[in-house]
Amino acid sequence: MHLGITVIAGDVASEIFGIVETEEGSVKAIFREMDFSEGDFIFFFLVGDVASEIFGEPQSFFLCLPLSFTETYPKAAVTNMKVKVISRSADEFTRERSQDLQRVFHNYDPNLRTQEKAVEYVRALNAAKLDKIFARPFVGAMDGHIDAISCMAKNPNHLKGIFSGSMDGDIRLWDIASRRMVCQFPGHQGAVRGLTVSTDGRILVSCGMDCTVRLWNVPAASGIESDNQYDDPAKPLAVYVWKNAFWAVDHQWEGDLFATAGAQVDIWDRNRSQPVNSFEWGKDTVLSVRFNPGEPNVLATSASDRSITLYDLRMSSPARKLIMRTKTNSIAWNPMEPMNFTAANEDCNCYSYDARKLDEAKCVHKDHVSAVMDIDYSPTGREFVTGSYDRTVRIFQYNGGHSREIYHTKRMQRVFCVKFSNDATYVISGSDDTNLRLWKSKASEQLGVLLPRERKKQEYHEAVKNRYKHLPEVKRIVRHRHLPKPIYKAAALRRTITDAENRKEERRRAHSAPGSRPTEPLRKKRIIQEVE
Amino acid sequence: MAEKKRRMKEETQQRQGGSGKNRKLLQSKTLTVEKKKGKKKHNSRNEGKAGRRKTGPRLPSALKHELDSRNSNQRTSDEEVDNDVYEYEESMPEEESKKNRRFDPVDKLEYELPDEFEDENLPSEDDDDDYEDNDSGERSKGRDNSNQLDDEVEDDDDRRHARMLQGITGIPSEAFEDKKRKRNAVLSEAHPESEYNPSRGAIDGDGNISVEDLLEGIQGKSGYSKVRKRVHRVDRKSMSVLAPLPKVDRERLERKAVYEQSKKEITKWEPLVKKHREAPTLFFNEDIDIGFSTVGAIASEFEPKTDFEKKIASLVQDAKVMEAHNNDGSRLLELNKISVEDVKDRQKRLAKMRSLLFRHEMKAKHVKKIKSKMYHRLMKKDRLKAASARMEMDPEAAKEQAMKQEFKRAEERMTLKHKNSSKWAKRILKRGLPSQDEGTRAAISDQLHQHALLTRKMNSAKDSSSSEGSSDEEDEDDNELLLSSDQDRASKFLTKVKEKTLELMEDAEQPKSGVLSMPFMVNADKKRKDAAYRDAELALRECESMVEQLDDTTEAENPKIGTSSGRRVFGAARNDTQALSNKKSNNIRDNNDSEDDLEANANIDDGQDNVSLLRKDVQIDPGSLYEDSGVSLQPVSKSFDDIIKDPGPKTTFEVSIFASDSWRKMKKGEKVDGKNDNSSAVVEPGLPRQELKEVDEDTDTDSEEEMVDGILSSGAKPSYELPSQADLIHRAFAGDNVEEDFEKDKLEILNEENPELEKPVLVPGWGQWTHIQQKKGLPPWMLEEHENGKKKREEALKKRKDARLKHVIISEKIDKKAEKLHTKTLPYPYTSREVFEQSIRMPIGPEFNPATSVGALNRPEVVKKPGVIIRPIKFEEVNPYEKAEEHKKSGRAPKTKSSKSRGEKATKMQLKKKS
Repeated sequence: MHLGITVIAGDVASEIFGIVETEEGSVKAIFREMDFSEGDFIFFFLVGDVASEIFGEPQSFFLCLPLSFTETYPKAAVTNMKVKVISRSADEFTRERSQDLQRVFHNYDPNLRTQEKAVEYVRALNAAKLDKIFARPFVGAMDGHIDAISCMAKNPNHLKGIFSGSMDGDIRLWDIASRRMVCQFPGHQGAVRGLTVSTDGRILVSCGMDCTVRLWNVPAASGIESDNQYDDPAKPLAVYVWKNAFWAVDHQWEGDLFATAGAQVDIWDRNRSQPVNSFEWGKDTVLSVRFNPGEPNVLATSASDRSITLYDLRMSSPARKLIMRTKTNSIAWNPMEPMNFTAANEDCNCYSYDARKLDEAKCVHKDHVSAVMDIDYSPTGREFVTGSYDRTVRIFQYNGGHSREIYHTKRMQRVFCVKFSNDATYVISGSDDTNLRLWKSKASEQLGVLLPRERKKQEYHEAVKNRYKHLPEVKRIVRHRHLPKPIYKAAALRRTITDAENRKEERRRAHSAPGSRPTEPLRKKRIIQEVE
Repeated sequence: MAEKKRRMKEETQQRQGGSGKNRKLLQSKTLTVEKKKGKKKHNSRNEGKAGRRKTGPRLPSALKHELDSRNSNQRTSDEEVDNDVYEYEESMPEEESKKNRRFDPVDKLEYELPDEFEDENLPSEDDDDDYEDNDSGERSKGRDNSNQLDDEVEDDDDRRHARMLQGITGIPSEAFEDKKRKRNAVLSEAHPESEYNPSRGAIDGDGNISVEDLLEGIQGKSGYSKVRKRVHRVDRKSMSVLAPLPKVDRERLERKAVYEQSKKEITKWEPLVKKHREAPTLFFNEDIDIGFSTVGAIASEFEPKTDFEKKIASLVQDAKVMEAHNNDGSRLLELNKISVEDVKDRQKRLAKMRSLLFRHEMKAKHVKKIKSKMYHRLMKKDRLKAASARMEMDPEAAKEQAMKQEFKRAEERMTLKHKNSSKWAKRILKRGLPSQDEGTRAAISDQLHQHALLTRKMNSAKDSSSSEGSSDEEDEDDNELLLSSDQDRASKFLTKVKEKTLELMEDAEQPKSGVLSMPFMVNADKKRKDAAYRDAELALRECESMVEQLDDTTEAENPKIGTSSGRRVFGAARNDTQALSNKKSNNIRDNNDSEDDLEANANIDDGQDNVSLLRKDVQIDPGSLYEDSGVSLQPVSKSFDDIIKDPGPKTTFEVSIFASDSWRKMKKGEKVDGKNDNSSAVVEPGLPRQELKEVDEDTDTDSEEEMVDGILSSGAKPSYELPSQADLIHRAFAGDNVEEDFEKDKLEILNEENPELEKPVLVPGWGQWTHIQQKKGLPPWMLEEHENGKKKREEALKKRKDARLKHVIISEKIDKKAEKLHTKTLPYPYTSREVFEQSIRMPIGPEFNPATSVGALNRPEVVKKPGVIIRPIKFEEVNPYEKAEEHKKSGRAPKTKSSKSRGEKATKMQLKKKS
């Protein structure tokens, strides 16, 4: 079948078909010497006087005539044809500015475009390749510390500021945009183990091995012009000396309380020199503490007895304890899902739990090859970043079993702390090599202001890539990462070990009475006990 | 929660206090009773229990005995004294023991056996309480058991005692029992029965003093019934009071409660989280205040920094000016004063500039008006000189010049301005060049020359067009052929063919260099050429015969001859060729085939016979026939036309038509590239055997069936005998050996999928000068490789799924290109193939979707803006029913987005109102 589109205007039209008679809504025309065959459609685009002659209106029309009158061809007199008229107003087509794009009309009939899938597949492939080409995640490093960085804190109210504490007791405030140090907070005698900033971004709380909790005034955003009430940021607002060394500190979201972890969990008020509350459940050292940002009165701690403990401040009591096979180094609550938290475990995995059902992890995030040291959720709640002792930083989906991204550089050593920036665009890692590193959370994302068309294009690429991500070619390209040799080998080794274990277990099961060795999923396997 | 906790505490306190009091009271009662009973031998059922209850420090038994003895003497008189003594005993230990009950009552049961105690104890409520609070049925059962045991032991004792008495005294034991009973009942009471003096029944009954007993005292008085009722009610609803738990347990319980509570608190987020999870897109860029939004706002922030800016600012910000602005325009005018000198200065400057301009203008006009050609020529020369000098001097100018030149050329190529395309040129050409005067002709030729100059480079680059041109000519010739009458065309065509063949035969040139000039290539070429030459000769001969035939045949005969199909007649032609070329093809049925065809040729004129013959003819497997023809015809066709260029099938067809003399078909055959089907499209109305012909020339698949028909019909005509079934079948499938065909097909497919290895050939160039390859044969590694390859192939063939299945072909061919478009397994979130395929069915690109829906289709899962702080989730009420609808709509995003945000705002407002 052919599709003929004919533009007929003026004299040409009358030459092609002599109009015999015009009525209202009907056309009588004689076709002259046109080569048609059966099943053809002719599109007539009638402009100007022809149109007006036929329809009596000075407008342009578009009509489609099925050519089912080949019997009478070649001299076909067409009478009483039904004419469908599409009338378009001029204001829709006039551009407001000369830079505006001309409106283009497509016929979206899928029969006209049979190759669309193939086209989109190729686009997906190209998008995946482009992603690889533009993947430059490392933005820059911030050096200046003279010992390993042990902890970091982001300012919840200010995007550019990040605090870092190091093992020599030094605390620094960095400006991410310029990647330079803004100021220092000297005072700690031993290693700084915990840093946190109040929600309003005014007060920095630090604690460390020297058994002190120090409160600092954060210099205002503009840098130089800070309030003159506290003229020197180098002097702490308050120093609270306590009985034991501290391992971690976290500030409550939108409240005055902060919690420290050490020999026990202490809840402090910012304005009091003594803790307002302290919890002790078991005698082991508490290693990390995190407040739930959604539910400000709920906090979780992990301790060296391999436990994760939940506390509720409203009833000023611990709530539940979960003991796993290995120690949990850090905990992060999902800021968008207040019931869920993820624990960074010593056994190279992260475990996402629902605080209401602790008998089973919701998801096990595997990929690291050494202990996971720190974890932080993206403010969107859809992904989190982990730093590991294996010298890499990985980004996981909140429900993904394997990492979406791995970041490493030759010079980055053991990563002790990681943070997601407040706008979910950057990732900051602090490592043993005394540097803070700034990464993009999406390796190939284009920074800076995007034009709407650019954005649309990138969205389309992303969507197409996402659609065809299951096909082998696209999958291969998207998944491919270059790994440092030690990590690659360690991963291979781990795989071998787990495979061997699984095989052994399978064989044992095969040789024992059916039902006597129930299969236990990994989500449950690593949990020893849930203590009430 | 806190409340609950407090309540718990209170309860425990109550329990402690209340129970203590209770116990004290009851204990005192029991003690009084005890004291009254004295040392009497008893058979109370509750002895064990009572014994157990006695804990804490007590009086030494010796002292007790003495007390008892004294009590028996002055039982009635001094109760107070006794009470005093017992006060000590009961209060302290009781308090202490009840205060922190560290031990389970069960343990006590084991520790302190009831046998030690001879004194009787009344059952107290406390005991029951304790057991109840322990709440373990086992324990209570154990207690019962122990009681029963005790009872039995006592009974036994009594019986033994009675027997002993009987043995000693000879009086029947009943007498003693009676006596004992009597003794039990003996009570000397000085006081009347009242609440202070327990009744007889109370003492010799179960030993309990119930409230009823106490109530008896006030019986008959006013309000008695009310009190009694209340007592009854209290009895019915007796509450047990719990004992405090150890700290560990208490804390555990507390934690449990806390956890439950916090669980409940957290669960309130569930609908909201669910909504977020189910939403196709999360928006984090709403409600942002970026700061400056209007020009005014930005301008107001402006601060002058440089000197100039400051100066301006000082002028603009001048208080007077500002005031004037605010007040009135007239004041502004006053402020706007200019000195006279300034104005004069400016005017002078302007006048000077104007006069200069004027002069320049005048000069230009003058120069333009000069008509002297000489002057202009000189000027032009100067200009050119200057230009050339500049070109030489600086490369920039040269480049520019070159660019200009190139641009001109390109322009010329684009517009063809000088190729007589202008209106003027056209007009002149229309009128005819010769009629023009010389100047015009010169101008035209000049123009053409210019065109040639400008496009020279282009022409020089194009040198391969000559061959195309010739081919075009050929095409034109062909067209001419078509247009002329049939006969003419035929003869013309034939002559043309002849010429072509001859030409081809003649110009067998040898390549002078390259691989083709190598000896083996030359040999091969020669061979090929020989064959081609032979074929060409053949074709020529045929051609000539055709021409003769053409001359002979009349118009009337023409259609009849035309009826024989191309293929069949072609077979006849091929017959000749085969005879000449010593049977190149190895087809088995060649002879059969050719015979038939010969017959067909012979009987070409008579009608009825021809039918059967033709039908017989059809018996030949059309596929093989066709193949056959393809093989043997190729050289012929090659000779007819350009050997290299023409595609196989087309030439085949041409030849077939040619051989069958039906010139009508020429037109159609050349137009369409198809194979035999096309000839059926020709309508020849006067033909008697048209149908037959069409059947004959049908597609391969159809023809088999037809063939069967043909056989049957032909076999049915002579004297009819009923053949056996097997015979019938055998006959029916006589012509086609399906099995063989199938095997052949299978072999072909096998070869295609696991291709047979090529035999190792001599390595060109290797050791050629020493002829080492000829001497030693192929290198061993090559042979080994070949062997390995063979083995591999064998194994692969054995491994095939259809290796054992004789009648089956299972293709194992994997289309690599198609495979990359398939997933190996079903991807994770999808549960069925259909769903997955459905999910990628519709395209999402802007070319395939209207602009209104593209945005929604491509929207990412998370929409955020870099540089905008994302806050943690805030609680809001979510209506689950509303959400479902929203979710449905989510395809159309921008609308729903706004509505959603509006909805959120509304909920927020509600929350505010609530708070």
